[in-house]
Amino acid sequence: MVAAKKTKKTHESINNRLALVMKSGKYTLGYKTVLKSLRSSKGKLIIIANNCPPLRKSEIEYYAMLCKVGVHHYNGNNVDLGTACGKYFRVCCLSIIEPGDSDIIKSMPGDH
Amino acid sequence: MVKFLKPNKAVIVLQGRYAGRKAVIVKSFDEGTRDRPYGHCLVAGIKKYPNKVIRKDSRKKTDKKSRVKCFVKVVNYQHLMPTRYTLDVDLKDVVTADALQSKDKKVAACKATKERFQERFKTGKNRWFFTKLRF
Repeated sequence: MVAAKKTKKTHESINNRLALVMKSGKYTLGYKTVLKSLRSSKGKLIIIANNCPPLRKSEIEYYAMLCKVGVHHYNGNNVDLGTACGKYFRVCCLSIIEPGDSDIIKSMPGDH
Repeated sequence: MVKFLKPNKAVIVLQGRYAGRKAVIVKSFDEGTRDRPYGHCLVAGIKKYPNKVIRKDSRKKTDKKSRVKCFVKVVNYQHLMPTRYTLDVDLKDVVTADALQSKDKKVAACKATKERFQERFKTGKNRWFFTKLRF
């Protein structure tokens, strides 16, 4: 029970931090731009939805490993991630380029 | 946050005639140029992999089996899959942007990279690079 509560709390905090990034920072949404941001080493944190196809997930993780960038597996599918970003479309993966006022980069890469 | 598309990085070409072939980045143009306004790089790769050499083979047979055929190409970053491997073979003087201007310059560049790749294959290092990717 304690574990379930803890995940709910951290899940909400990710959503809050993401909302702050959407408001104040720079980000890109979508697989193609995520890879672009990794190639140009502009991405600082990658967030992947849980229903991302496994091949695509592995590919993004491999690029992130080469780049030494953290990857966060979001606890929700692409519909939820899109809603968390405040968008009306599905988002499978997103890359945070500049966190703005948020501390998502400092607090998130701890949990994978 | 660390740039990884640097010279000497081993990559796999994903599109085009050489799809599935391993190559090494010789020069990278991250910003692009006027003609190619996208990130691209000059790669030298293997067109035909060397065969497996066994101890039983005669000298003539090992020479025949260790032959490598090369290609030189300018590829968009999007059409490459970077790997964690590197291949430090000095190709900077041999493979240049103007080697691709004319057919005979390209052939000369391919011949020179072929020599370098073959001698590297014979030492037995970088074995991953010289094995065919099975898919």
